[in-house]
Amino acid sequence: MPRTTTVESPGCPPFRALTADVLGLVKVIESRGEQSGAAAKVVERWGDPDSSKCVLAASILDRKTDPLLGVARKSGLIEVISVINGDLRLSLPNVCQDGTRPEDDPIVKLHLFKKQRSESSTRSCTLLTCTTKGSVRIESFEDSKSPADSIRDPSPTTWNVCGSGNILCSKVEEYENYALFGGKGVEVNVWDLQKCTKIWTAKSPPKNSLDIFTPTWFTSATFLSKDDHRKLVAGTNCHQVRLYDISAQRRPVITFDFRETPIKAVAEDLDGHTVYIGNGSGDLASVDIRTGKLLGCFIGKCSGSIRSIARHPELPIIASCGLDSYLRIWDIHSRQLLSTVFLKQHLTNVVFDSHFRIQDVAGSAPEPQDVNEVTCQDEDEEAMPTKRKTTSKGHGDSRSKKKKSRKTNVAGSAPEPQDVNEVPWQDEDEEAMTTKRKKTSKGHGDSRSKKKKSRKITEED
Amino acid sequence: MGGKRKKTDGVGIEGGDDGESRKKKMEQKDMLLPSTVKNKERRSAVHAKLKHQKKVDKRKKAKAREADEKRALELGEELPPKKIPRTIENTREIDDTVCKPDDEELFAGNDADEFSSILKQDCTPKILITTSRFNSTRGPAFISDLLSVIPNAHYHKRGTYDLKKIVEYAKKKDFTSVIVIHTNRREPDALLIIGLPDGPTAHFKLSKLVLRKDLKNHGNPTSHEPELVLANFTTRLGHRVGRMIQSLFPQEPNFPGRRVVTFHNQRDFIFFRHHRYIFETKESKQTESKGTKGSKEAKSREKVIARLQECGPRFTMKLISLQHGTFDTKGGEYEWVHKPEMDTSRRRFFL
Repeated sequence: MPRTTTVESPGCPPFRALTADVLGLVKVIESRGEQSGAAAKVVERWGDPDSSKCVLAASILDRKTDPLLGVARKSGLIEVISVINGDLRLSLPNVCQDGTRPEDDPIVKLHLFKKQRSESSTRSCTLLTCTTKGSVRIESFEDSKSPADSIRDPSPTTWNVCGSGNILCSKVEEYENYALFGGKGVEVNVWDLQKCTKIWTAKSPPKNSLDIFTPTWFTSATFLSKDDHRKLVAGTNCHQVRLYDISAQRRPVITFDFRETPIKAVAEDLDGHTVYIGNGSGDLASVDIRTGKLLGCFIGKCSGSIRSIARHPELPIIASCGLDSYLRIWDIHSRQLLSTVFLKQHLTNVVFDSHFRIQDVAGSAPEPQDVNEVTCQDEDEEAMPTKRKTTSKGHGDSRSKKKKSRKTNVAGSAPEPQDVNEVPWQDEDEEAMTTKRKKTSKGHGDSRSKKKKSRKITEED
Repeated sequence: MGGKRKKTDGVGIEGGDDGESRKKKMEQKDMLLPSTVKNKERRSAVHAKLKHQKKVDKRKKAKAREADEKRALELGEELPPKKIPRTIENTREIDDTVCKPDDEELFAGNDADEFSSILKQDCTPKILITTSRFNSTRGPAFISDLLSVIPNAHYHKRGTYDLKKIVEYAKKKDFTSVIVIHTNRREPDALLIIGLPDGPTAHFKLSKLVLRKDLKNHGNPTSHEPELVLANFTTRLGHRVGRMIQSLFPQEPNFPGRRVVTFHNQRDFIFFRHHRYIFETKESKQTESKGTKGSKEAKSREKVIARLQECGPRFTMKLISLQHGTFDTKGGEYEWVHKPEMDTSRRRFFL
């Protein structure tokens, strides 16, 4: 019996996401907030359709000033583009050591480092690439004016993570000291990126009761939480999800099955115990990894294999994309579909640009609430609503105006941390403010977290 | 007491004029819902009355329309526009995956996909047809029919080979597609089309199979390359399936053969038909009888009519899944799978 009543679904919060697809296009999808009722839509498209430029891996350097997106293409080309306007910053032809064609040894992982690995210059960018055959390379580049003549670090760090087998999944930890690799015939292993040494390898689970050994074939893996590099979650081709704990044992701590098709994407939540898993037939679910229990499935007529899941660093939303050419935005609490965008091609990657804001360009008076709310001692998810400053007026703006607003925002955001120290608000003031905010914001999940926060603040007082 | 009041209201409906009392009627209808009446006899009476009223209204409307048309015809005015009946197809759910003719990304995608080498005639299609492990009665008959439909198709016995091995073999022998006909209880019930070397795998349900020998007055196809008609493949998925089917046939039809193979999509069911056609010239009699003016023209006017003769099998396919890459049930990624949660609307179609 089909469900005839619709579940109350809040509007889509303002976000900005970038997707990469098999024709090498990078598309920018924006949603302008729930007040205007505008659904997410494609605002920009970068690149020309060309099958040889198929994007294999993408990585975003998500920072306030000058965010960058790195894309690794099928032809072996690595490009770094600006997230704001799509300008090509860096273009690196594939450099293979022993003359292998890039088609034979495609790149599976690209990572742009947040922190500067070398102190040599201010505008350098460091990236890690990993190919199917397992050769990992960390290189630094000086950023110069023209993308062609960027200065290449003369001595890239390269090493090989596997002797045989194919690397299929890789992930660099939040603080960028460790990286994990896994694949077909390659057990999950963790490497120290500073010393380039392997610190841990998983052990395959024993034969089952029928004495059948399932061959190793990892299709996706991630670190479980930001602060801890010792817990890993991996999805296998035989539809298993495994939790590894480096400090405990080499065999998986928890193993459970999910549906019938290979786990193609795994993403961790900010709370450190929820994992989102997507599989080859388009099922997306969230799982509490501490117990291995399924929290629930994301239901929404998703029919194609899920290739990538991205969690927004602040808002309670995730994005999934895959072979059905749709980008879908989901609410993580209610697991409702918030928005879908049809992007015409098979998508390979999705990333969020978390510093996207819509500001009231008309410029209402600087609100004291804003200052008031910047109490950064909470976790990230608690702090999430603080930066949400959306107004419907900003919606109809032209593109250039928005860019400007973004820049102004970047400039304006500098003095924020000072405000943390001076929280001289009285209790009643505080409460009045929060109630006012509650009235104004119709956002989903906001009010709850806000309540929490107000409580916290009062406790401190 | 209440019953009496309702009765009078009912009289009011019958007495009221059609155009004027529409509003009134609506109000009364709200009041007179049969479901609100508790007594069964009363309720059925009210219901019968409502139904009768509806019937009368409908007849009136039809008559008025007819009269309008007649008057327009007499006065030589333009006829009132004919109303288009609402069908499930033309009220289908809005789908943003429907292909638009001016979509350059679509063409770029087409150029990049797995079938473009065949469709651009860089290589000729070569088809391997095989069966499931067990195969009897209608299965082989269907295959022999199919062999006469698809040019350059070769039947290979399945034996006990794995399908993955067969795919490997076919790749080595430069086949461009593998068709597997699956039979269950001596009746073909599924069709698997695998594009090679790395094309997608489509899994169809097969139903309503009528073999050539069971068709009355069937024709016998010649060995000319057939023309292909693909109708109604509108969405991106449909487009892809259509291209996949297209890649089974040679791209240059031999028109003297007058042979046409049709894949017609309607409500996600793909109907297969195979015909021979002929154009015949017939002198039309109507023009002669019409008047003295047209008699000169009538002699010269000849009507060309197309006549069809069905030959070859007749069957219906429904897409179950489209898989990325060649056949791999365990580790395969799907581009599209039919899921029960998609069946919440009758007006939602995917092809």
